[in-house]
Amino acid sequence: MTALLDINDLRVTFNTRYGEVTALDSVSLNVNAGETLGVVGESGCGKSITALATMGLIPSPPGRIAGGSIKLAGEELTGASDARLRALRGADIAMIFQEPMTSLNPVFTVGDQIAEAIMLHQKVSAAQAFKDAIALLDRVGIPSPAERARDYPHQLSGGMRQRVMIAMAVSCRPKVLIADEPTTALDVTVQAQIFDLLNEIQREFGAAIILITHDMGAISEMADRVAVMYAGRVIEQARADDVLDAPQHPYARGLIDCIPALGKGETELREIPGVVPPLHLLGAGCAFADRCAHKFARCESEKPLLADHGHHPAACHAVEEGRI
Amino acid sequence: MTALLRAEDLTVRFRLAKQSLFGPPVHLEAVRAVSFTLEKGRALGIVGESGSGKTTTAMAAIRLTEAAGGKVLFEGEDLLALDDEAMRARRRDIQLIFQDPYSSLNPRARVADIVREPMDLMEIGTPAERDARVRELFGLVGLRADQLGLFPHQFSGGQRQRISIARALSTNPKLLVCDEPVSALDVAIQAQILNLLARLKEELGLSYLFISHDLGVVRHVCDDVAVMYLGKIVEHGPRDAIFDAPQHPYSQALLAAAPSLKRRKSEGYVRPMKLSGDPPSPIRPPKGCAFADRCPKAQELCRDMPPEPHEEGALRVACHFPG
Repeated sequence: MTALLDINDLRVTFNTRYGEVTALDSVSLNVNAGETLGVVGESGCGKSITALATMGLIPSPPGRIAGGSIKLAGEELTGASDARLRALRGADIAMIFQEPMTSLNPVFTVGDQIAEAIMLHQKVSAAQAFKDAIALLDRVGIPSPAERARDYPHQLSGGMRQRVMIAMAVSCRPKVLIADEPTTALDVTVQAQIFDLLNEIQREFGAAIILITHDMGAISEMADRVAVMYAGRVIEQARADDVLDAPQHPYARGLIDCIPALGKGETELREIPGVVPPLHLLGAGCAFADRCAHKFARCESEKPLLADHGHHPAACHAVEEGRI
Repeated sequence: MTALLRAEDLTVRFRLAKQSLFGPPVHLEAVRAVSFTLEKGRALGIVGESGSGKTTTAMAAIRLTEAAGGKVLFEGEDLLALDDEAMRARRRDIQLIFQDPYSSLNPRARVADIVREPMDLMEIGTPAERDARVRELFGLVGLRADQLGLFPHQFSGGQRQRISIARALSTNPKLLVCDEPVSALDVAIQAQILNLLARLKEELGLSYLFISHDLGVVRHVCDDVAVMYLGKIVEHGPRDAIFDAPQHPYSQALLAAAPSLKRRKSEGYVRPMKLSGDPPSPIRPPKGCAFADRCPKAQELCRDMPPEPHEEGALRVACHFPG
C-alpha cells in the first residue's frame, strides 16, 4: 500500500552567498490518512523547509527542489504546474503556521478570510461561504462565532487566532494537514486546547497530520510516528513509542534527556553541547559529530545513512557498530 | 530563613484610555494585592498564563513599574518608600535577564562593553578592575576571552543569553529577576542555560525571581512556586508540594495542560482536566473568584465571594473548595 503522502529522497538546495547549500538531503517521509507524523528537531534542521517543499512554497530562486519526489495520493507534486499546486493547496493539503498574527491578514475580518479560502475551492455564493465560515468557527470552539466572524485578527487572543487558522485550514477538508509549530507562541493551557482540537478534527475528517515541533512532550501526546531531523536529514524514524522509549541516535536521545520533566527536579539536565552547524560548513562526516559524545574516527569521514541497526532506523555509525 | 524580598499587598493599576472626553478615568488592576516571600539563596517561580500579571508583579517588586499600593521589603527596607537616589544605589543588588536575547542587547556595542556598562553606570571599581571583571564574568558564563570584541549578531541565541547573564552579574547582585529566560531558545539550548543558572545560584548564593509559563522549567529551577491568575496569587508554596499535590483547581489544570513524555497517544491519553475559554477581562474582574467561570468545581459561593488565601498543608491556597 502506498502512503497518502509519500516523500522520497527529497533534496532541496538554496543559492546563498556561500554557494549552493543543501537544505534537505535524501529526506524520505510518509504519512497515512488518520495518522499523525511528528517531525522534530532544533531550528535550522530542515523541518519547515520540508513542509514548504510539500506545499510547493519553496521560494524559487534562491531555492529549488533538486531531486526526489513528493507524491500526494499517487500524484507527483515536484514538477506540477503552479495552477495545479494552487488548486491542491488549501483543498487537498493545507498548512497551519506558527505565528497566527502574521499569517492572518490584518485588514479583513476573520470570517471573510475563511470565506475566501472556501470560495477559492468550492462553487458557493459569498453569503453561503460566510455561513460556512461561521459554522467552522463554531466547530473549532470559538464562542459566539457569528459575532467573532466579523472581528479583525487583532481583536482576538492568540489562541483564538490559531483556532481561526485551523478553521481556515480545514475549511475544504484537506487530506493532509501540516501544522508547523502551531502552539509555540501560545500558553500551555491554550496549547492543550489546540492539541485536543487537532486530534478531534483528525478523528472527524480522517486527515493525515504532519506536526512539526521541537518539543518531545508534544510528540508524545500527539504523534503516532516520529521523524527526527538534523541538519537537513532524517536521522531517526520510527513509531513514537519506540523513539521515546529507546532513542537510538545520540541526538534523539539528547532531545529527550534535555527536557526539564514535570516529574523530577534537582538533577542536572543533560545538555546537548554546541549548536546546529551552519549548512554551508557541513563536512564529509556526520553533521552531529561535533556535538556528539560517542564520536569516533568514522564519524568524521563518512556520512551515516538511515538504516535499521536492530531496533529501528537511525543514521549513526556508533549505533551501527554497537558502540551505544 | 531570612527573607530577601517580601511583597505585601502589592497592587498595580494601569490607566486606560477614557471612554469619552469628559468621562471618568478607567483603571485596570493588573496586580491585585499580591503577597509573596523570596528567601535568600532560593528561587521563587511565578507561573500563569499570559496576562495573569507575572511580569507586572516582578517589575513592580523591583520598581520598574509604579505600584499603586502595598510594600516591597528588600532586606527589610521598603523599596517603594526609597527616594530616587537611594533606589539607584539599591539597583546594583537587583538585576534582570530578559526573554528575548535578540532585542535585549545593543546591536552596535561590542559584547565586552555591554557586560561592562552596568559597572560604568554605577561606578563600580576602577576601569582596570572593570575590565578584569568582564573577563572573569565571561569565563563564569562559559564564553571565551577571544569573543570579548565581537558584536551580538555574531553569537547564537544561547550565547546571547549567556552575555545577558554576564551583564546582569557584573554588579554582583543579590537578586536576579529572570523573565522567561529560556522561552525563546531551542530545547537543547534551554538545558544549557538552565544548568548555568542552577550552577550560578549555587556558586554565588543568588536568589531568583523566575517568571515562566513552562512548568517543567520552573520545577527544574525553582524552590518555591507562586501560581498567578488574573492578577492574584491563587496558590503559593514549596515546589514539590505544588507539583505533587496542587490544591487549587487552576494549578491542577495548568499541570494537566503541560505536555509530558509520560502521556502517550498510543495509550489513548485523554486530558483529565480541560480548561476551556480564556481568563475574564481584568478591566471588569468578576465579583467572586476570578477562576469560577472555567472551574469544574465552582458553586454559587465562588461566584459571590472571592476566596481568601489560607493554609492547606504546606501551601497557601485561595480557593473555597481546594483539593
